[in-house]
Amino acid sequence: MDSYDIPESTSSRLKDHFIGATPLQKRLESVRKLTSFVPPSPQRKIPQCSQLQEDVDPQKVAFLLHKQWTLYSLTPLYKFSYTNLKEYSKFLSAFIVAEKQKGLAVEVGEDLNIKVIFSTLLGMKGTQRDPDAFLVQILSKSHLPSENREGKVLWTGWFCCIFGDSLLETVSEDFTCLPLFLANGAETNTALIGTWFQKTFDCHFSPLAINAFNLSWMAAMWTACKMDHYVATTEFLWSVPCGPQSLDISYAIHSEDAKALWDSVHKAPGEVTQEEVDLFMDCLCSHFHRHFKIHLSATRLVRVSTSVASAHTNGKIKILCHKYLIGVLAYLTELAIFQIE
Amino acid sequence: MDEIVAEFVKRTILKIPMAEMTTILKAWDFLSENQLQTINFRKRKESLVHDLVMLCEEKHASVNDAALLDIIYTQFHQHQKIWDVFQMTKEPGEDIDLFDMKQFKSSFKKILQRALKNVSVTFRDTEENAVWIRIAWGTQYKKPNQYKPTYVVYYSQTPYVFISSSRLRSSIPLLGQALTVASKHHRIVKMDFRSRYLDSLKAIVFKQYNQTFETHNASTPLQERNLELDINMDSRIIHENIIEKDRVQRVTQEIFGDSPQPRLEFAQYKLETKFKSDLNRGILAERKEPLRCLVKFSSPNLLEALKSLAPAGIADAPLSPLLTCIPQKRMNYFKIKDK
Repeated sequence: MDSYDIPESTSSRLKDHFIGATPLQKRLESVRKLTSFVPPSPQRKIPQCSQLQEDVDPQKVAFLLHKQWTLYSLTPLYKFSYTNLKEYSKFLSAFIVAEKQKGLAVEVGEDLNIKVIFSTLLGMKGTQRDPDAFLVQILSKSHLPSENREGKVLWTGWFCCIFGDSLLETVSEDFTCLPLFLANGAETNTALIGTWFQKTFDCHFSPLAINAFNLSWMAAMWTACKMDHYVATTEFLWSVPCGPQSLDISYAIHSEDAKALWDSVHKAPGEVTQEEVDLFMDCLCSHFHRHFKIHLSATRLVRVSTSVASAHTNGKIKILCHKYLIGVLAYLTELAIFQIE
Repeated sequence: MDEIVAEFVKRTILKIPMAEMTTILKAWDFLSENQLQTINFRKRKESLVHDLVMLCEEKHASVNDAALLDIIYTQFHQHQKIWDVFQMTKEPGEDIDLFDMKQFKSSFKKILQRALKNVSVTFRDTEENAVWIRIAWGTQYKKPNQYKPTYVVYYSQTPYVFISSSRLRSSIPLLGQALTVASKHHRIVKMDFRSRYLDSLKAIVFKQYNQTFETHNASTPLQERNLELDINMDSRIIHENIIEKDRVQRVTQEIFGDSPQPRLEFAQYKLETKFKSDLNRGILAERKEPLRCLVKFSSPNLLEALKSLAPAGIADAPLSPLLTCIPQKRMNYFKIKDK
C-alpha cells in the first residue's frame, strides 16, 4: 500500500483525492460524512489459510479456540518493547497484588498468590508488517503439587494485529499497534490489566460492540468458508423489542443448507461483496417470512453462530475452527481499527 | 425420625422462602397451632429451620409427611418446573365408568410398587377434582431418591395429565402405564405442548380463555372500537394509515381476543421446506432438497409478544397460522414439511 501523510490543513482537500484513496482515507472521509455504517471496504476476501499461518502451531493455539472472548479495541501502545516482557510480567504482578490487597476488586476467598506471564504468540499475524501478537496470563501459584509448576490459569488476554496496515501507516515508530484485544476471565481482572496498560503505555481500551451490519457480514463470510465437516448449525438470533414483552427469535439452519444457499448467491470468486451479503440475508429472511409473516429486517440481529465462529453484538466471540482463525481475527482487527479512528 | 427422613424434612423446609414460611406451614397442617406459636419466626433462617425440624421430630414426621410438604412447596412454586401435557384416550366403545378417586390412588400406587419395590407415592387433592401426585423413584435395590421427584397433576374429569419434566426418562413409560391403568384408560400420548406455567397450559387445554379464533368471521360492531382507537392514535398519521392501522387492530383482536393471553414461554418449529421466493428467482432453483431449519420463539409471555407484532409493524396481519394455531392446537412444538 502507498504511504502518505495527512497534514491537517489539507483534510478538506481529501475529497479530491478520493479516486485511488486508501481504505483509511475513505474511512476518514466517511466519518466526516457522519455515516456510521460505511463498511471498511465493500468487498472483502473470503478468509483463506494465510501462508503465515503455517508458522502457527495448532497445538499452541488450541487453547484460543472454543473459549468465549470479550473484545476491545486498543489504541497504539507507546514505547512498548518485546524485549522487556519479563519486566512487564514482574511489574504487572506487583500491581495486581497491590491493588487486590487494597481491597479493590477482590472476590471472596480470592487467592492473592498469583503471577503474571507475558509471552509472544508467533505467527499470529496477517503480513510480516504486523507486530507480533502477545499473550498475558494470570496464573494461580497456590495449587502446587510438584509436577504442576505452572498453576491454574485464572485469566487470559491477548493482543494482536492482523492485516493492520491502515493503522500501522499512521503512527510513528514509538508506537506498537495491536488494536485487537481479547479477554477471557473475571471482569475484575480485565479491568486491572486494562488500568496498568493504560498507565504504562498511554493507551486506551474500548469495548468493541458489533452491530447487525457487521454480524451479517460475518455470517456470510463464515458460511462461505469451505469446511470438511460442520461442528455446529448455522444460527441467527434476533431480538424483537415489542410492547411490554420482549421476544427472541432463534433461527437455525443446517450448515450444509446454509452453504448451498450461499453458493447459489455467490458470484465473484474469492471475494464477498455487499450485494451478496444482502442477498444471502434477504433469502434467509424471506424464507422465514413465507412461514411466519414476520419481517426479520424490522428486528435487531444480535448474534450469529457458524462452525467457524460465533459472535454476539455485545462483543463476545468464540472461534471454533483453527483453519480460519486468522481470517476471523482479520475482520475483527478491521472493526477494532474502525472504532479507534 | 431417622437420619434420612430428618435430612429430607430439613432440606424441604430450607427451600421455603421466609416470606412464605407461615402460609406454607399452615397449609401443611402437620404442626399444630400450639407448636407453631412456640416458634419465633423472626429468627435467622438456619436457626428457625432447626427449631422447626425439632418440632417435626417431636411429632414423628414420616417420609410421607415431608413429601406432602414438598408437594405444597411445589404448588406454590409451579413455575420452577417445566410441565408437559399428556392426553389419555379410551378404547372406542369402552364404558365410561364413574371415576373413583380412592380406587384410582390405590391402583396407581400398587402398580408402581409392584414394578419398583422402592418408590414413594404421595397424593394431595385439590379443587376441580384434581389430584397432585409426587413420585420419588428408587430401584429394586436402592431407596427412593427424594431429591429428584416427578410431579403429576391429574384432572380426573378430563383426559389430561400434566407431568413435570424430569431427566429420569426411564420412569416415563412406567408412569404412563400406571396412570392409564389406574384411571381406566387405554393409551397415553405426550402432546407437543410444554410450559412452566401450569395455569396457562390448563387454560389453553381446557379452552377456558376467551379465544375467538373459531369465529373469525364474526362481525363485531366497529363503532365503539373506532372511538377507542382514536384516543391512542398519533395525530400525524394520515387517513390511509388510519384505515390500515384499524384493520390490523381488528384482525389482531379477532385472533387473540380481548382478555390477557395465557402465558407460554416458547414455541419451536422444525422446518423442512423448500426455498421459494418470488423476488429471488433462480436462487436454489435446482435444489430438490428442502432447507432444514429450526426456529424457536422465546419470550416471558409469548402470546402477548406475538399479539403485539402486527400492530408494531413487524409482522403482517393476520399473523401466520403457524403462530396463531398454538392455543387452538394445544401445541408448541411443530414439525412442518412441504405438502
